[in-house]
Amino acid sequence: MNLTEPYQSDGARGVQPLRLVLVLGLALVALCAPLVLGTYAVHAAVIAMIFLLPAHGLNLLVGYTGMLSLAQAAFFGLGAYTSALMSIHLGTSFPVNFAGAALMAAIVAVPLGIPALRLRTTSFVMCTLGFVIIGQAISKNWISVTRGDMGLSNIDKPTFRLLGASVEVAGPVQTYYLALAIGALATGVFWLLVRSPAGRNLVAIRENETLAESLGVPTWKYRLAAFVIAAAFAGAGGSLYVHYISVASPLMFQTIYTTTMLIIVLGGGAGSITGVVFGAFLFVGLSEGLRVTPELRMIAYGLCLLLLVFKFPKGFAPLLQKLWDRAGGITRKEGSA
Amino acid sequence: MTAPLTILEVKGLTKSYGAVRAVDSVDLHIDRGEILGLIGPNGSGKSTFFDCTTGLAEPDTGKVLLEGTEITNWPLNRIAREGRMLRSFQKTVVFKQLDVEENLVIAGQMFAFPSVASTFSFGRAARDRVAGLRRHARELIELTGLGHVAHMPAGNLSGGQQKLIQFASMLMPDPRLIMLDEPMAGINPKLIERVVDTIQYANREMGVSFLVIEHNIDVVTNLCSRAIVLDQGRKLCEGTPAEVIANKDVREAYLGG
Ligand SMILES: Nc1ncnc2c1ncn2[C@@H]1O[C@H](COP(=O)(O)OP(=O)(O)OP(=O)(O)O)[C@@H](O)[C@H]1O
Ligand SMILES: [Mg+2]
Repeated sequence: MNLTEPYQSDGARGVQPLRLVLVLGLALVALCAPLVLGTYAVHAAVIAMIFLLPAHGLNLLVGYTGMLSLAQAAFFGLGAYTSALMSIHLGTSFPVNFAGAALMAAIVAVPLGIPALRLRTTSFVMCTLGFVIIGQAISKNWISVTRGDMGLSNIDKPTFRLLGASVEVAGPVQTYYLALAIGALATGVFWLLVRSPAGRNLVAIRENETLAESLGVPTWKYRLAAFVIAAAFAGAGGSLYVHYISVASPLMFQTIYTTTMLIIVLGGGAGSITGVVFGAFLFVGLSEGLRVTPELRMIAYGLCLLLLVFKFPKGFAPLLQKLWDRAGGITRKEGSA
Repeated sequence: MTAPLTILEVKGLTKSYGAVRAVDSVDLHIDRGEILGLIGPNGSGKSTFFDCTTGLAEPDTGKVLLEGTEITNWPLNRIAREGRMLRSFQKTVVFKQLDVEENLVIAGQMFAFPSVASTFSFGRAARDRVAGLRRHARELIELTGLGHVAHMPAGNLSGGQQKLIQFASMLMPDPRLIMLDEPMAGINPKLIERVVDTIQYANREMGVSFLVIEHNIDVVTNLCSRAIVLDQGRKLCEGTPAEVIANKDVREAYLGG
């Protein structure tokens, strides 16, 4: 029942000691990880936490609203370019660029969403794929702004300015803590969002759009809102990404970005926040880890995915839920999870 | 007390699908507090009439007035939200993966929150509102006898139970008019009684008016003070259930004249 995660009271109230230990343990691991992990693993964790942002957005669409969009990569790229250009031309600090990137993605999502959301199922998917291709074409050809295939390079590391002092977040370990803070914040915001009455309406749309309409839900407005919010999450992720790797180029619109976001959400468990967080670390980790065999990397990655699809067709969310329930001392009656 | 006596008025409603005139210039009115029956053979246009009055389909011509306000061509969601006129579907639909209580909470949300923007809030006020909806949902769950399955996913329940969920959901927003498309079809006799009781209860205690499509003539006789018969998209006759049954044309239509 992972798709109903936030919507079924599981009967357990109050603090469960085992659960508390689990949560505190995970928090401790997250905080201490860079002290024990090697540079490369820390780098992989940073990438995972960056991809978590567009993945949350995609989860809102696929897992909660029931719309499969491939456009997250387009908004990720748009956010990256926006942030890069702001930093180059305006010299603004990271928080400003970060907010600007999210805002730009949200604004652009409105005119794209209005026609696209009139389409359903496969036509919608194809249309959103088109956005990524258009994004790539613009980044390649609007040379005066994007410098085409050369891309924008030497972009500032995330910089914070406070009372005249300027702090630069450089290197994997520092960026790790920045990404952890942003990832945790984004996850918190997402959690509040899907638990709000609006989140419940989105789930209603996923379950049965006509029924939702018949109960007064203006489904069109909600679907557009979800598309825009998802874009903002992706744009924010793109911003952090570009300041971390310090290059923005048309390569950011490659299929691999879309695929990674999709795998995180579908493999982690659409409709589950914990599943997607888990998925981000697992699948980015897997992809980065397999770099040790460059020639076999994609084949090995593909084989791992096939294995996962057959072993865990609903992603890891049901497994995590079981663990969580056990920690809370609950045994579910419906064995169908 | 100047509220109009007629709650819904439909004038000259026509709808064609290709060459088929599914609904052919039908006039109909429902009085406040009435339970009106709509009967007719299969394919006579009853469901299409529902679709065109509730905004699911656009009528070709004709007018729909709800308490004097023209609502023709309003979308389904607006008619439900602003008109408090709710409908069920012939093929039962529920939010399958959500439990019964959540189904009802969703049904109440757009009436408890003033705007789309206000639903994007997680403050205390929003949580209190949802808690209020949840309490209301529990009452209606008890009323419809679904108490023992309140936390089961709706999709796991029987067809009859799903019809009850659908019905209870429509009672959430304090409706003025409910249109039911074959609420008893495929329900066992014991549950039929329950549905009839609940409709009568909502009518009496909550002041809800009803338009009910029903094939079971006993139910119509039991429930409705007046019935309208459609045949091939046209209004064949109207009157008390007894008059309608006695009508020669109606017998012919049903026996395939
Ligand atoms: N969406 C549609 N597209 C094409 N034809 C339709 C559509 N909906 C209804 N019809 C046609 O309109 C006519 C009336 O159908 P409708 O479903 O309104 O009948 P009904 O009285 O509800 O029948 P039943 O008792 O079987 O439910 C039928 O001939 C049907 O084929
Ligand atoms: Mg019908």
